[in-house]
Amino acid sequence: MLIARAVRGDSAAYEEIVQRYQQVAFRTAYVITGSAPDAEDAAQEGFVKAYRALDRFRLDADLRPWLLRIVANEARNRVRSSGRRHQLELRLAEGFRPGDAAPSPEAVAVAGDERRRLLTMVNALSEEDRLVIASRYFLELNGEETAAALGIPEGTVKSRLSRALARLRARVEETANA
Amino acid sequence: MPELEDDLTALAMQLEWPPTPRLRAFPIYVEVSPEAVRRAFPRWALAAAAALLIVAGLLAYTPSRDAIALWINLHTNIQRLQHPPTPSPLPSGQLGENLNLGTRVTLEEARGSTGWKITVPSSLGQPDAVYVKSPPAGPSKGEVSLVYGQRSNIPVSGQTGVAVLVTEARGKVDEIYFHKMLGSDSTVEQVSVGGHPGYWISGHPHDFAFADANGNFYSDTLRLATNTLIYDNNGTIVRIEGDLTKAQALQIAASMS
Repeated sequence: MLIARAVRGDSAAYEEIVQRYQQVAFRTAYVITGSAPDAEDAAQEGFVKAYRALDRFRLDADLRPWLLRIVANEARNRVRSSGRRHQLELRLAEGFRPGDAAPSPEAVAVAGDERRRLLTMVNALSEEDRLVIASRYFLELNGEETAAALGIPEGTVKSRLSRALARLRARVEETANA
Repeated sequence: MPELEDDLTALAMQLEWPPTPRLRAFPIYVEVSPEAVRRAFPRWALAAAAALLIVAGLLAYTPSRDAIALWINLHTNIQRLQHPPTPSPLPSGQLGENLNLGTRVTLEEARGSTGWKITVPSSLGQPDAVYVKSPPAGPSKGEVSLVYGQRSNIPVSGQTGVAVLVTEARGKVDEIYFHKMLGSDSTVEQVSVGGHPGYWISGHPHDFAFADANGNFYSDTLRLATNTLIYDNNGTIVRIEGDLTKAQALQIAASMS
């Protein structure tokens, strides 16, 4: 197992772990900091700290939430210590083709507009709501990983997500009725 | 799954994320001539130079055990500039003054300035010289060095005039880094010093890294580059360097109080 080799001091194994998890770590830090340079710093520092803490890693635990917790803590510390928080503004990729295969140009435009509106509403949520929604749906983290990323108990994730979805749903309906 | 959650899941596939940078697994060691550094740069200039080195792509240097001068903690700051010892061929002046141990003080002054308990080996008697190195040159809670000259049955280093050097700092040994920094000319054996975990390093170790009281890594030079006993005395890392046998080193450690 890769992590077992890393814990035994196999540096090549740890390098492989970094390569494997760097994307989700960076994106998690990005969701928290709202800044790509800050996210890079946080993820990088997180991996170095994780390496130093390998001797404390329990081999029966899951590696991904453990790493994400360290990286997310680092990201939050950076936001706190810098005193600045960038507004997270996720965007839709250019040229995407939502919906089924070969839709009409009009259908593509309508679907695209709807998703842009939805994304705008997510971006406009409170930080707490945005973070939990982004963690579960955009980063596709499971409950344990979301708890690690947000620094909250796993039992709190479900209720927080439920409240965040309810608020988002209310905004969607409000816009649709307007 | 309700429609909103379906929409969010679909949205995830269309998101534009910033490109993921290539992250490194380990801190970078950069080799710099210590003399040139000492001559040319104040600390702030060093930080700028280190950043330029990174930008220039000088990445992933293999740590060189006996020439590491800078420890750069990725993207954050320079943890410490090392000045490896430059012992004069013939010792002159105060004992240990060429070893870059910090400011010479009395033992009482050292005790007053550090705020943590400094232990002294009774088997060696009173130290001949005491030095304190405070942050930022030293680790976060400072570092105290007790220097001993001629002692019975212990050879004196011809270059330094020092028989035994005892160094104490608050921190924690990091086994992975500790082992990585030892070269093939050193062997490590785990020992117990009065119930405290320790390591007997025989050979010619040059460098030692540990996490200081604030969790920052501090890379230090083993000044005498000879047999060294290192142990953790309730959060104080004690290093005993000298041309000692293992039994002598353990005896000195056992007399620390």
